[in-house]
Amino acid sequence: MTLTPTASSAKSKAADAAPGEQRLPRTLLTPEDHLEILKQLYLARYFDVRLIKEKKRGRLRGTLYSSHNQEAVLVGSLFGLKSTDWISPIHRDMPAFFMKDLRSGWDNPDRRAMSIEEVCAQVWCKSGSPGRARDNWSHIGKKSAGIIHSTSMLAGTIPVAAGVAYADRLDGGDAVILTYNGEGSTAQGVFHEAINFAAVHKLPVVTIIENNHWAYGTPTHLEYPLQDFARRADGYGIPGSIADGQDVFDVYDKVMEAVDYARSGKGPSIVECKTFRAYGHGDHDDDRAAKYRPVEEVERGRNRDPIAVCKSYLVEKGYLTNAEAEKYKAENKSAGETTDEDFPPEVVAYLKRGVDFALKSPDPSPEEGGMWVFREGA
Amino acid sequence: MATVAHEVGIKKNYLTAIKEAIYEEMGLNPGLISIGEDIGILGGAFGVTEGLQAQYGTQRVIDAPISEAAIVGTAVGMALQGKAVMAEMQFIDFISCGFDQIVNNMATYHYRTAGEVALNVTLRGPAGAYGGGALYHSQMNEAWFAHSPGIKVVCPSTPSDAKGLMKTALRDPNPVLFYEIKELYRLRDIEEELPEGDVTVPFGQASVRRAGKDITLVSYGQTVYHCLKAADILAEQGLEAEIIDLRTLVPLDEESIKSSISKTNRVLVVNEAPKTCGFAGELVARINEIAFEHLDAPALRLTRMDTPVPWAKPLELFVLPSVNQIVELAQRLIRY
Repeated sequence: MTLTPTASSAKSKAADAAPGEQRLPRTLLTPEDHLEILKQLYLARYFDVRLIKEKKRGRLRGTLYSSHNQEAVLVGSLFGLKSTDWISPIHRDMPAFFMKDLRSGWDNPDRRAMSIEEVCAQVWCKSGSPGRARDNWSHIGKKSAGIIHSTSMLAGTIPVAAGVAYADRLDGGDAVILTYNGEGSTAQGVFHEAINFAAVHKLPVVTIIENNHWAYGTPTHLEYPLQDFARRADGYGIPGSIADGQDVFDVYDKVMEAVDYARSGKGPSIVECKTFRAYGHGDHDDDRAAKYRPVEEVERGRNRDPIAVCKSYLVEKGYLTNAEAEKYKAENKSAGETTDEDFPPEVVAYLKRGVDFALKSPDPSPEEGGMWVFREGA
Repeated sequence: MATVAHEVGIKKNYLTAIKEAIYEEMGLNPGLISIGEDIGILGGAFGVTEGLQAQYGTQRVIDAPISEAAIVGTAVGMALQGKAVMAEMQFIDFISCGFDQIVNNMATYHYRTAGEVALNVTLRGPAGAYGGGALYHSQMNEAWFAHSPGIKVVCPSTPSDAKGLMKTALRDPNPVLFYEIKELYRLRDIEEELPEGDVTVPFGQASVRRAGKDITLVSYGQTVYHCLKAADILAEQGLEAEIIDLRTLVPLDEESIKSSISKTNRVLVVNEAPKTCGFAGELVARINEIAFEHLDAPALRLTRMDTPVPWAKPLELFVLPSVNQIVELAQRLIRY
């Protein structure tokens, strides 16, 4: 665990946080929660590898932005949210759409998220998607589920999150809004404008930085001149913390601290999750990424697979036996090296349901292309 | 609080009309939030929101940081959560700082959610030249947004239209961009008694500002008054110009344009924005689509030159449409 609070966050948390695990948010998780978190990591990974395979077979349209090796950031940050909370995932966060509120039950029909069926319909470009396949991949959302719809313009959902938070607070709500952003998006002007606004109004917006060290083909040091991006929080007068993005429980701890802080009315914060992108920026970039990123850096970045890190922690805590840990070996394998046998059968079955639905879902009818520019009857 | 008390016989200016509309709608709709730079404590750079924060509080009347992208983006978020939002751009020129949030985020929201989310956001701000505002306080950039599907574009020229259209905008479930002509804000010549009660003006209905049989002048905003002055001069020569004030660009009242041209058989579009790809060009193209068979002369446009708006008065007037130019072009078209 690498906890490196910035000056301001250390100060702001000094009153209610003490060193050592006994005070960490994870201590309130049950053994079942721990095992559920592992299962969710499998689910995120399985979704990703299945899509990579489908894409390679030419069955999917557009570009796939793999979340391989970054699943702990998604699972760890989503696990502690209330169903009334909001999220705004971006291109590399496809699993987040169906993993939000997953803790309330994978088959819970009232779960405040997109269903696996809806997400698969979106990926397969079908009318069963809530957006009826009008924009691609992650450019999807669902108001009734508390998922903000993103565009291709990075950091563009942070002000939207601030607006949702402002309005929710005005209505007496206690929702926290989690926005996901790559470290490259932090150089956008709107990133500054939105976080500044949220800070001024102490809005419950948690900005997750998925720092995978490469913004498409540009390394971190050409995006901002800081060792730890989280220090940028000092400039906004808000806490900034750093999580080990390969360790799902460290992500959970840091995000939950930020979420609790936000929900208690203290305002926004930034959580930088240090992780590493397994492949290219998108599948079109895999070959080039193998050249522009030094081999040793890729090896170092991928040598701590989040599934493996989670398993060894669960074994250490006694929640998982060595034999159980060996049963499904999805970790440290590329997408092409994995098979269905590397994943728990319920994970495989869950995604199958979504894919079956997507394949049966009709294409949107052509004339829909001209519809819904305006809300009519106004 | 429903409407501002009607004062019989009292004429009001264009700015007061807009101010009353916002004030009334804030009272009628507790879910309406106002946000913008200096709109609260100061009451707005031009005073449009004077007294608004005192009446409705700091929660609903937000003094935003100088961050147009954040103003638009948070307005989108509030509207996503079910609020109605009035967001002021201090000058419409500054809207470019929030451009991405407007055209890629706000404008497309209803489309890309297949109708799930409609955003009741009205962006409004002072616009237009002829006042020495120079490059960055004189723009009419409506073509950028008329060119972005998903935004309604409004530009009133009279106080009563300004009030009625603003009330419609603040109730419309869709994004609206509302161009206020700052040179008209306090212009005494156009002050008028406002209609009594809760009166709205619908979108998509042009107004015939002067009837005539010899040529149709199509315009909106400030140049409507240039057209009116030109019509006076033409009348002295026995030529009757009909003036169509569009009031809304999106949606566009094609029917009124067509009906006027079917009578006059000649048309000149007058617009203070630059020529190339301006809304005037769009109007000429539409006229050819809907009324070509009625035309006895080419549909022409008179616009600003393809330049920014310069500061010194001789420079500014040189690049902008003038009354004399309208008269000359109208004569040419009538003689054609």
